[in-house]
Amino acid sequence: MRIFSTDHKVIGLQYAFTSLAFLLLGFLLILTLRLHLAWPAQPIPVLGALLGESRTSGGVLLPEFYLQLGAMHGTVMVFLAVVPLAVGAFGNYLIPLMIGAPDMAFPRLNATSYWLYLLAGLVMLASFFLPGGSAQSGWTSYPPLADFATAGQTAWLVGMFVLVLSSMLNSINLIVTVLQLRAPGMTLMRMPFFVWAMLVTSFLLLLAFPPLQAASVLQLMDRLAGTSFFLPSGLVTSGQPANVSGGGSPILWQHLFWFLGHPEVYVLILPAFGIVAEVIANITRKPLWGYRAMVGAALFMGTMSFIVWAHHMFLTGMGPALSGFFQITTMIISIPSVVIIASLVLSLSGGSIRFTTPGLFALGFLPMFGLGGLTGLPLGLAATDIPLHDTYYVIGHFHYIVAPGTMFALFAGIYYWFPKVTGRKLNDALGKLHFWGSFIGMNGIFLPMFIQGLAGMNRRLYDGGRTYQTFSGFDGSLHGQAWSAVFLGVVQLFFIVNLFWSLKKGARVSDNPWNSTTLEWATTSPPPAHNFDPALTVYRGAYEYSEPGAPRDFTAQHQP
Amino acid sequence: MIIPYTTERRADTGMTNVTLGMWLFIASEVMLFGALFSAYALLRVSATDWPPGRDLLNLTIGAVNTVVLAGVTASAWRARRSPGPQAGRWLAIGVLLALAFLGLKGWEYSSELGAGLRPATSTFLAMYFTLTGLHALHVVAGIIANVWAIAGISRVTDAMTAGRTRSLALYWVFVDIVWLIIFGLMYLL
Repeated sequence: MRIFSTDHKVIGLQYAFTSLAFLLLGFLLILTLRLHLAWPAQPIPVLGALLGESRTSGGVLLPEFYLQLGAMHGTVMVFLAVVPLAVGAFGNYLIPLMIGAPDMAFPRLNATSYWLYLLAGLVMLASFFLPGGSAQSGWTSYPPLADFATAGQTAWLVGMFVLVLSSMLNSINLIVTVLQLRAPGMTLMRMPFFVWAMLVTSFLLLLAFPPLQAASVLQLMDRLAGTSFFLPSGLVTSGQPANVSGGGSPILWQHLFWFLGHPEVYVLILPAFGIVAEVIANITRKPLWGYRAMVGAALFMGTMSFIVWAHHMFLTGMGPALSGFFQITTMIISIPSVVIIASLVLSLSGGSIRFTTPGLFALGFLPMFGLGGLTGLPLGLAATDIPLHDTYYVIGHFHYIVAPGTMFALFAGIYYWFPKVTGRKLNDALGKLHFWGSFIGMNGIFLPMFIQGLAGMNRRLYDGGRTYQTFSGFDGSLHGQAWSAVFLGVVQLFFIVNLFWSLKKGARVSDNPWNSTTLEWATTSPPPAHNFDPALTVYRGAYEYSEPGAPRDFTAQHQP
Repeated sequence: MIIPYTTERRADTGMTNVTLGMWLFIASEVMLFGALFSAYALLRVSATDWPPGRDLLNLTIGAVNTVVLAGVTASAWRARRSPGPQAGRWLAIGVLLALAFLGLKGWEYSSELGAGLRPATSTFLAMYFTLTGLHALHVVAGIIANVWAIAGISRVTDAMTAGRTRSLALYWVFVDIVWLIIFGLMYLL
């Protein structure tokens, strides 16, 4: 396996291991932060000493480093871990296999996009060692604060610029591959739902990320060339009038950021829907309920996601006409999510469900995403968003979507497709421990956030709200969250050990161990250099499970 | 390994991979410049005063550059319609014209900076330098792509070259349209 390979499977695995490493880093950042929030006055054992005097004082996190942890946790998790894992790893590895293609449409471009991603990640990592540390103005980098932040913010902007280039190349490649390289007979409506989800995701990456690139260029100009794109006239910093020309608008950044930021939410969730759909069809041994409706919902969701962004900005003082528009579109965009989740739940009915490890993660995804989605509705309406804004309620809401939501789906995908990648299975007992441990750990962390947030506790409070008497009753839940985070970390060891142990020692399985219908299972495990020899022809839809009259309970897509 | 539909069209989409990829790239770029033009609109609408561009900028150089860039696009389209070696000649003419565009732009920048007109001076100039700078980067990228296509003529098949010149023609039209908008917004309006 060459390092500078252009094979989509090698690049997919490079994406997978890099993004899993970033996932672990993002988790360690927030674990440190949660330990600090639980016991803000006490030194953090071991870690406190390792971090050094520029970041801690006697083992207690300095406020500046606390802010770096929060900002970089968000950045690393969203941009360097979850999206590259979902789109870079799963997309690259599976899309050509699922549509019967020999590789991606542009193999060299594919390799370029991985190396740009790695470069962006390394720039972000290196920023921790700059004077003043990494970016610390939140993962959203709101100006004017971000315009005046330490050098780490410049690294953040440069990293983001490179990352958008990488995701643009990757998404062009995925779209062209899906539209152009489908095997004979693979019509659009015969594609697995996962492929549809990735197609919509790629369009979102292609069209929503460039405005963030534009915004990061403008913020770089503000920081390096002294312009005032985001700095209003009459700005005072540290008691001194800022020496800038003024005339800019901090709100402009928010518009550009959230124009990316909201489609980004669907970039995080659509691949998860796709993976869960594949796994659920397989474990229920039934066709997906409402495949066509799900495809329509994914397309509608993708389109709508471009006109809901300002529901992140109800507090900017927008007029009732504008806020009314965004409240209506936000309520509308909840419909396609409900269509997809309802279809997945209805798919379960009447199935004889196999509770495999990927199956457990996929089933766990449904209620967790449901909780995240339903708690989002009050945030989409200005009247309820205004008191909830910037509280832990918001954090709880979007973590239910992304952590036990998307992450569970991605874990389901890893357990499900590991046999295809290696020819071996991940250990089931360790996998089930991983699932139940993660389920308990994640709920232990995120469920209390709703209560804390409803009580008004703000996010980003350095001492976990101890300064305010109102929040004095939350010691118990903060301790519980910290212990849950530690527990969650310990449980992930089962996964890490399982992953590396099974690579070498896992039980060998056949090419199609789950008795699945889709094309990736029609080739050997691992697949050969150009995937299919001879090339396949597709004769049927993606989910022909338990067809009456068929010899087995699944009829593969390439069977005549 | 040969990837299908690199040079021949796929029947149901009617396109080659390269053409579709280039259209998607342009769609992405439209969003990039669209975001910047939206920023321009928002900042200009909320500005207390906004200088007419022709008072600060050199309208003559701007107008000449508009013609020069139109020449680059025209040569890219001639390259698209010409077989192998001739396509290379037209692409080379495009490179020379694009270099002339950058030279004129550099001259204009230096006279502006010499007159104390810097990005930090006003929001108008900040917008001017950002938009034209980012556009100039696209011209640089186009020059590199043209040179790469010229170098490839003797190495790859004629069908591959034809695909490359088709994409380059699309790209230069896009770069030209962006310039026309920038010229209108910064120099004329």
